[in-house]
Amino acid sequence: MRSLKYKDSKEIIRYILITVIIIAAATGIGWIFLMIGFPETNIVIVYLLSILITARFTRGYTYGLVAAVVATFTFNYFFTDPYYTFSVSDPAYFITFGIMTITAIITSTLTSKVKQNALESQEKEAETSALFHLTNRLTDAADIADIAGITTETISGIMNCRAACLCFDESGQPEQSFIQQLNSNEQVRRKVDDTAEVKHQIESLRSGYSIGSEFYDWPIYGRESILGILRIPKEHAVSMGESQKRLLRSMIESTALAMDRFRSARQQQESREETIQERYRSNLLRAISHDLRTPLSGIMGTSEILMDMTEPQDPRYDLAEGIHKDADWLHSLVENILSLTRLQDGRLTITKQLEAAEEVVGGAVGHILKRHPEYEITVDVPEEVLLVPMDAKLIEQVLINLLDNAIKHTPPSGEIKITVSQENSFATFSVADSGCGIAISDLPNIFQMFYTTHTGKADSQRSVGLGLPICEAIIKAHEGTIEGHNRTDQMGAEFIFTLPKEENNHAKPE
Amino acid sequence: MQNRNELILIVEDDSQIRNFICYSLKQEGFSYITAGTAQGALTTLVTEQVDLMLLDLGLPDFDGMEVIKKVREWSEMPIIVVSARDQDKEKASALDNGADDYLTKPFSSMELMARIRVAIRHLQKSGGARLQTTLGVGGLKIDLDKRLVYLEDSELHTTPLEYSLLSLFFRNIGKVLTTNYIIKEIYGAGYGSDTQALRKLMAGLRRKIEKNPAKPRYILTEIGVGYRLSDV
Repeated sequence: MRSLKYKDSKEIIRYILITVIIIAAATGIGWIFLMIGFPETNIVIVYLLSILITARFTRGYTYGLVAAVVATFTFNYFFTDPYYTFSVSDPAYFITFGIMTITAIITSTLTSKVKQNALESQEKEAETSALFHLTNRLTDAADIADIAGITTETISGIMNCRAACLCFDESGQPEQSFIQQLNSNEQVRRKVDDTAEVKHQIESLRSGYSIGSEFYDWPIYGRESILGILRIPKEHAVSMGESQKRLLRSMIESTALAMDRFRSARQQQESREETIQERYRSNLLRAISHDLRTPLSGIMGTSEILMDMTEPQDPRYDLAEGIHKDADWLHSLVENILSLTRLQDGRLTITKQLEAAEEVVGGAVGHILKRHPEYEITVDVPEEVLLVPMDAKLIEQVLINLLDNAIKHTPPSGEIKITVSQENSFATFSVADSGCGIAISDLPNIFQMFYTTHTGKADSQRSVGLGLPICEAIIKAHEGTIEGHNRTDQMGAEFIFTLPKEENNHAKPE
Repeated sequence: MQNRNELILIVEDDSQIRNFICYSLKQEGFSYITAGTAQGALTTLVTEQVDLMLLDLGLPDFDGMEVIKKVREWSEMPIIVVSARDQDKEKASALDNGADDYLTKPFSSMELMARIRVAIRHLQKSGGARLQTTLGVGGLKIDLDKRLVYLEDSELHTTPLEYSLLSLFFRNIGKVLTTNYIIKEIYGAGYGSDTQALRKLMAGLRRKIEKNPAKPRYILTEIGVGYRLSDV
């Protein structure tokens, strides 16, 4: 603070000196003119020139104005009759004095103004070039810390202080340390004492910056969240002028832009890699499942023939039957995996068509009865045909999976029932069995991928727990709901899924 | 084992599947020849008097679809297509291109034999079929001359559209008709591919002829492909 005042008074003395010397010089020249015998008007002109020069070499309007008045009096004192007095013999001189003073004042203010403008545009230019310099360097930044480093360095250089920058991570939390400029080519990392406090202060900010014990903190706002904080040492921040604050804000904005750009570029890159990986995986899975089908057809057909060739009492019949059953199980697994890869494949949005619910149910029941002719499946559909938009093949897969489950847990004599009904804007499908039901501990997990029951009653029949998650994925893709619970009226489980009757997104124009 | 004189061509590149099909055919008393490629199949068709072809759509040299098109240029022989489950579009276009039936892998030999028997029966009938005016499947009968339908020996009232749908099925008993084909036959070629009207028509017809429309006995749904009038 003190040094600042000191600097100011020094400047004032310098300007006073300049003013005095210039007026003195003008008086000297006037004296020579008088000796030579030039008319007085020339002396007036010289004084006017001196005032112009004063205004040019001093700051603000004051010195020019003072010089104008002083020059008038000097002229009066030295060059008007009676000489060396302030009195005037000829009243016409008053006109000379008046015009001289006014001209002098106008000249000095004009000159000052021009100077002021020049100064301002210089400042602007410096600002622009500083910003340009910063933006230019920011484009080469390798990561967020690099951006922070460059900003800190540039701002420190321009503001002539030890600026600092604290970055926030992608989840919006302040990092543990911040970068501070030590001197023109050295930066240090300093620990943040209380990140939560810093975060709280910045988030509850109402003005442009927050005042801390060591720093003034300016937030760096990104498109979605706060990206970081720019810190200017307190003693420097206090004395910052408007133009400096403006420049600082512009620089912070450039930094925010650079950080945002960097983040979104990285996110894009990441999601692109993820998509490629995902697609690769599902393509691989699909290729494998696809190629499994042909040998499975061979195995199933051949084992069936072996069963045909042997008598049911023959132990070889059992062996062949075992092969057939395993291959059959493997086959339904392959079909499920294929459905799953079709669903997860970003490319395939399901193609919905209006299908009669009864036809899809009939198809699924027919499919199951072909494999399990010993079962009886009751089907109940509404009297009026129910048309529902769906991918019939996928919904058939859902019904097949649910029926498979029901058959697995129900003896051939037990009841398995499919009911289709209509509720408001939904078609409801229910598959109920009369088996042992679902263990309470399993209920929350049945739709989880690869979940298989852990209760003691786990039967010999293998399950990889893919069937129900696939049902859920398919129903979700149809914007429907699916749930499973135990029946209340009797033993057994019931799975219910709903499908919207109208497509929500594009209603018919009528 | 009865001896039949029909010759069946098996076009399949997987030897394991070919083996068990051959065995099943032998059990049934059919004669057969095999081909592993589409080219081989076409060569065999030229040199041998083949009565029925069993065709895998995924062949190593070129698409089985091409074989169907080529064969249909000069022969009406029954073609049964074998393909994987998620290739509905291919199945439908194979049927539209002239295939008579399709089987989904993996299939049981029992099912395969049932399909072959149906196809062969049609082959034998087709000579006199055009003269035959009364056709029947189970309790469902149609009189093409009088345009009447009987269910369990009592006359069944049908709308004109329902009748033409039924007569279309009776003229193609056992054969899978694709949705597009049916729409074209019933509503005309300019109708487009809107399936909604057909689904409703089918539902109405089923409510007249089936005990439970969701467990049909006569007209079966081939999901994603079309319908078939069951021949059992």
